[in-house]
Amino acid sequence: MNSLVLPVVLPLLAAFLVQPVRHVSSGLARWFGPAVLVLCAGLLTNIAMTSDANPVTANIGGFAPPLGIVFYADSLALLFALVVPLFALLLWPRASDDRVSALILLLVGSGTGLAISGDLFNLFVFYELLSIACIGLVASSHTPRAYAATLRYLLISGFGSVLALVGITLVYTQTGSLNLAHLSELAPVHLANPLGLAAFACLLIGFGVKAELFPVNAWVAEVYATAPKRVSALLAGVVSNLAILLLLRLLLLVFDQPEARQILLVLGLIGLASGELAAWRARDLPRMLAFSSIGQLGLLFIAMSIPGEMGLIAALAVALHHLLLKPALFLLAERWSGSLADLAGAGRRAPLAAGLFTLFALSLVGVPPLPGFWAKLVLLLGLAAQDSALAQTAIAGVLLITVVEAHYLFRLVGLLFTKTEHSSVPHRGGDLALASLFGVLLLASMPLLPALADGLAWMAGQVADVGAYRALTLGGAQ
Amino acid sequence: MTLNPPDLITILAAGSVGLIAIGTIGLAVSRHLLRLVLALGLAEAGANLLLVLAGYRWDAVAPILTGAAPAGAMVDPIPQALVLTSIVIGVGVQALAVALMIRIKAAYGTLDIRELKVLLERDICAEAGIVPPSSIHRPNYQPPPGTALPARVASTGESA
Repeated sequence: MNSLVLPVVLPLLAAFLVQPVRHVSSGLARWFGPAVLVLCAGLLTNIAMTSDANPVTANIGGFAPPLGIVFYADSLALLFALVVPLFALLLWPRASDDRVSALILLLVGSGTGLAISGDLFNLFVFYELLSIACIGLVASSHTPRAYAATLRYLLISGFGSVLALVGITLVYTQTGSLNLAHLSELAPVHLANPLGLAAFACLLIGFGVKAELFPVNAWVAEVYATAPKRVSALLAGVVSNLAILLLLRLLLLVFDQPEARQILLVLGLIGLASGELAAWRARDLPRMLAFSSIGQLGLLFIAMSIPGEMGLIAALAVALHHLLLKPALFLLAERWSGSLADLAGAGRRAPLAAGLFTLFALSLVGVPPLPGFWAKLVLLLGLAAQDSALAQTAIAGVLLITVVEAHYLFRLVGLLFTKTEHSSVPHRGGDLALASLFGVLLLASMPLLPALADGLAWMAGQVADVGAYRALTLGGAQ
Repeated sequence: MTLNPPDLITILAAGSVGLIAIGTIGLAVSRHLLRLVLALGLAEAGANLLLVLAGYRWDAVAPILTGAAPAGAMVDPIPQALVLTSIVIGVGVQALAVALMIRIKAAYGTLDIRELKVLLERDICAEAGIVPPSSIHRPNYQPPPGTALPARVASTGESA
């Protein structure tokens, strides 16, 4: 046992302590949640520093895997685990509401667990916990439309859970194990068959609900349009990436089959095309961003379908780009949540916000010096390295859809800077400071791109090293 | 007529797949929200049954240690532990769904998912200040200022 369990346990515990703390002192309750998050982030940073970038494991309750539950944190898992409390801290709601604080703490605890757990059923439990926290947060704007959107989200998410459970059952009947490392040993024998593929499809669609995967993403637009914008930012940026990380692990460790990758490629391509086309048609900013988020995650699924480390690097690049950009864009949408037509000339009155939007739009489309270009380039190079008709179709698809993406984003940028006499935009206080922070991060990553690329390649190498994962997890940790 | 144990397990497995199928079809075709939630419950029950069956053995005893070593084989305890967890999660999710349904009924006065979809679309559009997509050929139309939503929608019911 080591301190790896604390970043999961502390927020879960704190979530239920927010209300009692309020009874002691309301000032204390206000700072209680953020303090716990800072502590978690500190603990995770400490683990990252002391482990010298080597993977760390922890056996829960002292039971050795494969029977016991194991937490496994390599650099990628630590990165995502660190992102959860940090982003929750940045996007902490301004209005102090105990129930919302508790839900965000719940989200952080389960999200961190999702990033570092190495047991399939444990992952399912964390995923469900995350779902419930998200559902509560979406409903927290307390409007009728938010309730209706939340219930539809709950039904789709519940259906996804049933599918994931069926997938887990199929895996268990075939192998008799749920430990990911143990499964990676058993998979080539027991899961390289149609039933194994069916299990993968069930797990993919089940867990894909949060990752806005194509057939189960009907909830996205209405939830992002009705939820508080900071919650949308958390869902679109952090939660979707956590689901992606979970699927990435499953793909690498358990279902490393060409058929599985083909399913990913096809679903990703459909998601990309449908998302970006819907965004092109959208007439309000929140829903445009929601649909474009479906498109971005479709791109991510395409990246995941590329075999080998190249695919991993592409997936990580697209995922981190998405992680940085989507929350920032939703923060800007907090300011401009009306119809797109109403935004004419808004950029002249708020030049900083419009400048940031332009920057993000350029990076989203992939204009050369910006990191978005590099992410797309790595993706396309990875696709081009394979010689299958499907991969080539995907290249054509990605390039074509980029044109659509560029069209609707630049149309909006143009609109922001048009000259109008009367400007009907209600001036809402958006969070420019935070959005600027993301913008600065994006710009700062530009000169660092070569270093970042090396870092990602190294990280991908560590993640792809299934043998090391197995040896460390099953070979008796502390 | 007697059933051999393996037959029974086959029947149960078929039953669980059937439950999942009924639940899925129910989710696809039902309109009333309560029916949808019940369909989800059925599908969950099917998945849980399937999970129990994954570790079930006809000739084995319950996996409870009472001190003395058991006489025969034991049923695999892991799926049973998993099913307990999954049942608890399912109950929680259904309770949450019903709580949301009460809020929706109070706000919109209907529990029909198709009506709700239309109302939801209209509300989102009204909030953003655009007309719903049925009139897509007139995108520049602006609703006259001060257009109020019908009373039952405007009142949120009890606010939390």
